[in-house]
Amino acid sequence: MAVRIGMMSFAHMHAYSYAHWVKQLEAQGKAVLVGVADDDAQRGQQVAQHYETRFFPSYEALLDAGVDAVIICSENIKHRPLTEMAAKAGKHVLCEKPLATTKADGKAMIEICRTNGVQLMTAFPCRFSPSYIRLKQMVQDSELGEVLAIRGTNRGRNPGGWFIVPELSGGGAVIDHTVHVTDLCRDLLGSEVVEVYAEIGNGFCHGNFDDTGMLTLTFANDVFATLDSSWSRPKVFPTWGDVTLQVVGTKGLVYMDMFAQNSTLYDDLNMRITLEHWGSSIDLGLVSAFVQSVQEGKPVPITGEDGLAAAEVAFAAYESAKRGEPVKLPLPD
Amino acid sequence: MLKVGIVGTGTMGRTHAAAYTKLPNAQLVGFYDADQAFAGRVAPQFGAKVFESYDALLQQVDMVDLCTPTPTHLDLVLKAVSAGKHILCEKPLGRTLEQCEQMIEATSKAGVTLMPAQVLRFFPEFKQARDLVLAGAVGKPAAIRTRRGGPYPRAVNDWYADFEQSGGPILDMVIHDFDWLRWTFGEVERVFAKALTFKKLDHIDYALITLRLKSGAIAHVEANWADPGGFKVDFEIAGDAGMIAFDSRLAMPLTVAKQDAGGGGGGVAVPESPLAEDPYTLEIQHFVDSVLAGQKPSISAEDGMKAVEIALAAIESARTGKVIRLGGGA
Repeated sequence: MAVRIGMMSFAHMHAYSYAHWVKQLEAQGKAVLVGVADDDAQRGQQVAQHYETRFFPSYEALLDAGVDAVIICSENIKHRPLTEMAAKAGKHVLCEKPLATTKADGKAMIEICRTNGVQLMTAFPCRFSPSYIRLKQMVQDSELGEVLAIRGTNRGRNPGGWFIVPELSGGGAVIDHTVHVTDLCRDLLGSEVVEVYAEIGNGFCHGNFDDTGMLTLTFANDVFATLDSSWSRPKVFPTWGDVTLQVVGTKGLVYMDMFAQNSTLYDDLNMRITLEHWGSSIDLGLVSAFVQSVQEGKPVPITGEDGLAAAEVAFAAYESAKRGEPVKLPLPD
Repeated sequence: MLKVGIVGTGTMGRTHAAAYTKLPNAQLVGFYDADQAFAGRVAPQFGAKVFESYDALLQQVDMVDLCTPTPTHLDLVLKAVSAGKHILCEKPLGRTLEQCEQMIEATSKAGVTLMPAQVLRFFPEFKQARDLVLAGAVGKPAAIRTRRGGPYPRAVNDWYADFEQSGGPILDMVIHDFDWLRWTFGEVERVFAKALTFKKLDHIDYALITLRLKSGAIAHVEANWADPGGFKVDFEIAGDAGMIAFDSRLAMPLTVAKQDAGGGGGGVAVPESPLAEDPYTLEIQHFVDSVLAGQKPSISAEDGMKAVEIALAAIESARTGKVIRLGGGA
């Protein structure tokens, strides 16, 4: 049976890619895009038309339409109420990252999904990158020896819109760009972050939100890592940003530039130079894994707990910058 | 004409020697090295002699160029000062701040010139980046990243591996980047660092250092003695109106791969980046010209000490896990 999926909000631009891949799975008989609901009715109607699916005037109506699972791509602060609605309606949830903007919200989301017997998956598509999968295999096969240190980046541009309204996003660049690489490090090391130090700034946009983040993470197994989560890419940068990891081990070093599979387009018509990505879609891997878990009734590969653990590092980074010193994890509830 | 004596005949001593031979206003008189036999093989390559003692060398020259392990600098500097000689001293200036202070006090009293060899200031990519930043090419800098390193360095007596002597990659290597950051972006407010240095691994060391500058900009410095894939340098300066990025791997006008280079897969491609004026020669020329003109060189001993101060703060942070706040301004 194809998994019937509803999409709750297109506030986060990743929704467009997820919808695209759900439609591809629909063509293969694995999933059905039942419909879309969105606070922004105009946007919801437009995307419903684009993806040849139904627009529902309310989230309740979408949840009543016989869906098995939902994908939530709302503003960050609405992840919790939308997850609660879906869970109470007995729907499995794939939630965009960051899972939540507070630890209390994240815990509540995990709890309500558990009590309602539905699964909660966090959207960390980088886990499905073939380059990351290969890197993880090298680490697991001890090709690098013992892992000692990691240098990561997840840099981008200021996305604007609600992302720079802290009341909707929970912060700025740090909450937006800390969680992907943190999740990869946790997954790679099988170890939790026990301390975070962060230098945070707003030197790019000079707004009331952070756009620069340089985090130092220490893991329970004594590995240390730094993570640059800044929105530091200029407007003329030829691509959206990057995800990189350099893993230093006792037997060697591996450097991953996850989105390096590009050709360069020199475009006189639009007077710009762009990197045209031809690597595998990581979003397809994410959506497929969610659909398959729901269909087969098996545990999702990336849980709500994973999402909260990564988000907690971002919360700790803000706390560290406020205090001017390293902060221990886990944070108090 | 400035008569020059070089102390130390390792890689840097030989690099500096080659530079003096290109200058019209300097004459390389000779070398002193504790390893007399090795010095005896090196000196003839530069048409210079070997002195049996440092004192003997000092009697025959106007300036000394110190290319020896860091902890030897203080003693060599003080003796040169007593002999009234000018000094070009390899980085890091000293192993401790106290050593740097002693050198500065002695040289200023004696009126001799002491310049730390912070050669990065003469590397065209770093000089150009600074010029661009000062011209406002990226607007106000917000986030700066530097990366330097490669395989673990090997030298006489394996002295790099002795932390008490070398200070590891934080003091010995990325002091280059600390000096350039100060020179380009101003003073450092605080430092947080993590390093493998205190794990005492076998010829692997690595550090990641975050600096908060007084300007508000944030800098990230990588010090890498754990990359068997070859020496690499890169930097990125992102500001509110643009970004400058440099990667040594991408700036190689020559790449040569030889059929007979050995190994099952044939030769490994070796890149080269030749320059008409190499940075070491520019640095040494600047020092020689300054001394002959009776002017202060552009890099002061205080600059050398400030760079050591940042490096020692990073080491202290890595050792204690604490944020280290630096003291005074420029």
